[in-house]
Amino acid sequence: MDELDLLKKDWKRNENSFNQVSDKEIYSMIHKKSSSIVKWILIISILEVLLWTALGMLPLSDEYVEQNYPLFAQVSNLFTYFNYTVILFFIYLFYRNYVAISTTASTKKLMDDIIRTRKTVKYYVWYNLTMIVLMFITGLIMAFICNPHVDEFRAQIQNDNASLAILLLLLLLIVAVFAFLFWLFYRLLYGILLKRLLSNYKELKKIDL
Amino acid sequence: MSENLEQDFVRRLRENQNIIHKICRLYTSGEDAHKDLFQEITIQLWKAYPKFRGDSKFSTWAYRVALNTAITLYRKSTRSVATTEYDSSRHFIRQEDYNYEEEEQIKLMYEAVYQLNDIEKALVFMYLEDKDYAEISETLGISEVNARVKMNRIKTKLKKILNP
Repeated sequence: MDELDLLKKDWKRNENSFNQVSDKEIYSMIHKKSSSIVKWILIISILEVLLWTALGMLPLSDEYVEQNYPLFAQVSNLFTYFNYTVILFFIYLFYRNYVAISTTASTKKLMDDIIRTRKTVKYYVWYNLTMIVLMFITGLIMAFICNPHVDEFRAQIQNDNASLAILLLLLLLIVAVFAFLFWLFYRLLYGILLKRLLSNYKELKKIDL
Repeated sequence: MSENLEQDFVRRLRENQNIIHKICRLYTSGEDAHKDLFQEITIQLWKAYPKFRGDSKFSTWAYRVALNTAITLYRKSTRSVATTEYDSSRHFIRQEDYNYEEEEQIKLMYEAVYQLNDIEKALVFMYLEDKDYAEISETLGISEVNARVKMNRIKTKLKKILNP
């Protein structure tokens, strides 16, 4: 193509027309902070791990439960250990993904790696969301059965199906709204971060079909 | 030791900085955006430098990291398209045989290239840099045949932009 070759001619002619950056400027640049997507994904995922760990610290069982309902306490402890194992596994995955992202790989490989990182984050979020909902429900059931303060309330409700239904519905609604907000937040967060990357990734995939 | 590494890097980068400038020229418009991308590429190169073993040339390695940064890692702060003035960070070398018509055509070509997407720009960049299809395919991670086909499509697309 004539035009592209014309462009190439101009490209070569102007090869040395750029204002040169000095050593000093390069020194100061390499000490500045990167704004790359991967860095942000990593920061966000670390914050997530911290957030969920903090939430996991919330005591699910208390002394009263331990004394009167030892089975409940045991199950809840088991639950916590299991949770920590899974979180540790995720941290390992995050680390592995981060190491895998090396800029020297081919563009497609690099994109694959970034998208895999995002997937790990996604699974992590879903896992935690499920856990929270489960914990919420178990907590409610435990409160309903074990807590002596609700005895009267329980007795009242047990004879009134309508109230029971309304209560359950209300609780379900709260859980649903909470889960939805959370989901929306992640959609927005990663959506904004990865919008351009995903469109470039699609383009590259389209070429290679 | 680490100071040596830093000195080494700075020297090599200074010597090869035109690679980065050229990528910035295709992927950004305006002086600020140019500087911004230049800095991000420099940071990514520095971060990846300990892994650079010298089994390829510094320039070849830098091409890749720089291009990957422009395509995948860089977050554009402002979206500026199409309306492109010439970057004032470049001073044009005026030829003796200054050809107004040719100059005008080149300007239109640049504007057409700016309308391409990031991946297409990468292909154009490597074409302008006289890279062969083997290297283009290796850099982007697509097959050589596909790189060739895509390049032909880009040429057609550019023609269409120039002669709508």
